[in-house]
Amino acid sequence: MYFHAGLILAVIAVSFGIAKALKLSVELSMLVAAVAAAIVHSGGAIPVRHLVEGSFTYLDVCLIFITATFFMNLIKESGGVAFLVRSIVTAFHKSRALCLFFLTLLLLIPGALTGSGATTVLTVGTLVGTVLTYMGISEKRVAAIIFICAAMSAAAPPVNLWAMMAAAGSNMPYVGFFVPLLVLSLAGSLFAMFFLGGKGKKVELSEALKELPAPPEKMNWVRVGIPFVVLIFLIMAGRIWPHSIPTLGLPFMFVVASIFAIFLSPKKLEILKIATNTINTLIPLVGIMIVVGILIQIMALSGARGLISLAVVTLPMWVLFAALWLILPVSEGLLQYAVAPLLGVPLILLFNMKGMDAIIALSAMAVMWPMGDILPPTAVVGRATVMELKFKGRYYKDFLKTSLIPMGFILLIATLFLIFSNELSFLVGG
Amino acid sequence: MAILYTIISVCYYLIIAFITFVIARNLVKTKNFQEAILFSVMLMPFILRILRIK
Amino acid sequence: MTDRNLMIVKIVSTVLVGIALIISGIEFYNHRNFQEPVVIGPGVTSVKTLGDYYTRLKGTINDTNIYIIDSGVPGGTALVIGRTHPEEPAATLAAKILVENASLSKGRLIVAITANQSASRVTRPGDAYPMYYTIETPWGESKYRMGDRWSSPMDSWPDPEVYVHYPSGQLLAYMDIRNFNRTWPGRENGMITEQTNYAFMNLIRAEGVDVFIDLHEAELEYPVISTIVAHQKAADIAGLASMILTSTEFRIGMEFSPPSLHGLSHREVGDYSDAISLLFETPEPFLDRVRGITDEALLLTGKDEFVMTAGKYGLLYEKIDEKGWPIDVRVGRHCSTTLMVLELWSDFNPGKEVVVGGVPRYDEVVSNGTGFYFQDPSKAETENIYYE
Ligand SMILES: [Zn+2]
Repeated sequence: MYFHAGLILAVIAVSFGIAKALKLSVELSMLVAAVAAAIVHSGGAIPVRHLVEGSFTYLDVCLIFITATFFMNLIKESGGVAFLVRSIVTAFHKSRALCLFFLTLLLLIPGALTGSGATTVLTVGTLVGTVLTYMGISEKRVAAIIFICAAMSAAAPPVNLWAMMAAAGSNMPYVGFFVPLLVLSLAGSLFAMFFLGGKGKKVELSEALKELPAPPEKMNWVRVGIPFVVLIFLIMAGRIWPHSIPTLGLPFMFVVASIFAIFLSPKKLEILKIATNTINTLIPLVGIMIVVGILIQIMALSGARGLISLAVVTLPMWVLFAALWLILPVSEGLLQYAVAPLLGVPLILLFNMKGMDAIIALSAMAVMWPMGDILPPTAVVGRATVMELKFKGRYYKDFLKTSLIPMGFILLIATLFLIFSNELSFLVGG
Repeated sequence: MAILYTIISVCYYLIIAFITFVIARNLVKTKNFQEAILFSVMLMPFILRILRIK
Repeated sequence: MTDRNLMIVKIVSTVLVGIALIISGIEFYNHRNFQEPVVIGPGVTSVKTLGDYYTRLKGTINDTNIYIIDSGVPGGTALVIGRTHPEEPAATLAAKILVENASLSKGRLIVAITANQSASRVTRPGDAYPMYYTIETPWGESKYRMGDRWSSPMDSWPDPEVYVHYPSGQLLAYMDIRNFNRTWPGRENGMITEQTNYAFMNLIRAEGVDVFIDLHEAELEYPVISTIVAHQKAADIAGLASMILTSTEFRIGMEFSPPSLHGLSHREVGDYSDAISLLFETPEPFLDRVRGITDEALLLTGKDEFVMTAGKYGLLYEKIDEKGWPIDVRVGRHCSTTLMVLELWSDFNPGKEVVVGGVPRYDEVVSNGTGFYFQDPSKAETENIYYE
């Protein structure tokens, strides 16, 4: 059994490496690895049913972030995001601290709703970046701030894909994560914002406003606010009167909120085009979720998943505490969301066994993972950041290096959450 | 209530159908062979769900 | 890459995906529509369906068979359900043994082999379950659908943002609205799984069920294992059954149903009906996350090197060695535990006895094999064959 599972792991690693060397994308390289492992496991046959069945593993999650991203894109296209950024700058340009604080909150919203840091970069990243530049913050620091806030927005509740995937894999309710995730992601994003952007010149209001795109004239707080109010109302209604209204599900709620956004938009929105663009920009994300599902199914089939789980749960706890802050981001950079079910599930098991608070521990891990989105080979959010901001500096020596101190801070507090999970269990609630 | 459930359920199939349509259109349009392969694989769960097979 | 080559790549990959969809689509379709014959035993006096107790379920996928074994002699009524979680095969097989073998001399026994049909017709994405398993019998192989813990999304879609249990209001994971053992006591206008529990509650009240038994299996990593979980009304019987079984047949524990844990049968059936409710767990290494190769052999033998290693590190709540946990051992445990609970119930409740004969005990199932107790459908009268 050890030999067989080890062999399959080797096949996965080697075929993934070869595929990458041949310049295939991460998604296709994973697919190649999964198919190769499946064929070796089945002694030459192709277990077609397993390959297809695996593609269903994260279908629900895909639906959530497709509809959520569509919603955020509508808000952006209607001029809502530009309106919000301008309002924050106009209202708080005299107080740097308040300005930075509200810009941080704004950065957290898209990723919190969609679970994807790339969405944050694509919807609000550029505009906030422009403002930060006018606050006298250097280019590399702006890029680092946008990346870390985007990563923290992905970690922020209500939608944290790593926690959702790991919880689903261990039959654990995705309930009670709101406060711990909020505390960690707020602390991390605010630290990055103030550490990197705390000092600088005063905002030149007129100059900054000139640079920011002007929202349509009729845009106002009601028009931009109501879609969010509707969304929050639907989510709350499902919790307050769950048995007198039909089950809607998050994707449907986002669709309803989107309909409000369309009708309240001051300018006519090309819905079909926005929807197509949404799915286009999400292809890497949806693609990777589907391929990860396939890979996980083949690893479960062949015992490779079991071997990894076994290796993880038999490690001494102090090793985990000392190493997880490094292992989690690096594995995220390598495998993206695949790491949540692969490493997260056995770790939760182990934490439960050792009497730790699994919700706090998983929250801590679910905040460490997104840090890896700046690391190669995938570097999904990092790449999106430098692309969207048209960053001219060097990726590693400027961008990554500037991000290291805030990243270290976040990994440190998350590790503390892991070690003191029981002491912090009071944070767990609805 | 039962009718509402049906309507919502139908909405979900429509959402899935729309996503399938966009992915298929991308598959036809793309100039990148890697994307083409990925798109065709991505279609799998969506098509089987529309057909109510899985 | 030239346009022509790009076109070829597109066509080839689409065709390959198309072929994969056709092959797997047929497999999924066949699995969902696979019928398992059941030859009713001499004791079965009538077969109803769940829809008889809640008309909205009539004709739906969860309109499952309800087998009634009536002694004709006044006494109590027991209800045993299998396949609450269709990924736990010992529960299915033990319930089927009851239907094909039990004859009563006092009271009534009602059995549902497949409590959640929808979940029994789907396998879990990402977990690589086999689609079927076969049990050896003296007359050949008998084949069963492997199922999932949750109802099929095709019958219950979408899931809520968070599942709020009815009526307690407790928050549970969104997918647990499709988990038949998180949706008790059910909801009349709820999703299909909730409606199924509602129908079972109607059955329990309409038939005046006194003893309710829910058969399960669990992973060895899970603390609730090899045990009887009992509602406080059933505590004395469960405690005594655990003591007697442990000293005479096999080691089995007993624990109380936590009052604050809602949606589970051992809690809600006891709370919302006159019946006492009990839930039995046997070990199923197939469900462990650290398991090795996931296949039918592991499902039926319960032998796994990785799970054994986890045990050496003290990570398990039940012992496991080279012998594993074979299906006959697990089915036998369920048979004996059911018989023991009904015997004790009958001792404690004169006038409400449920006296069962014809059902093998643990050592008989282990030495003869589970398949020994199944009848050959090809030799049976058609009117005695039902399909699960
Ligand atoms: Zn169970």
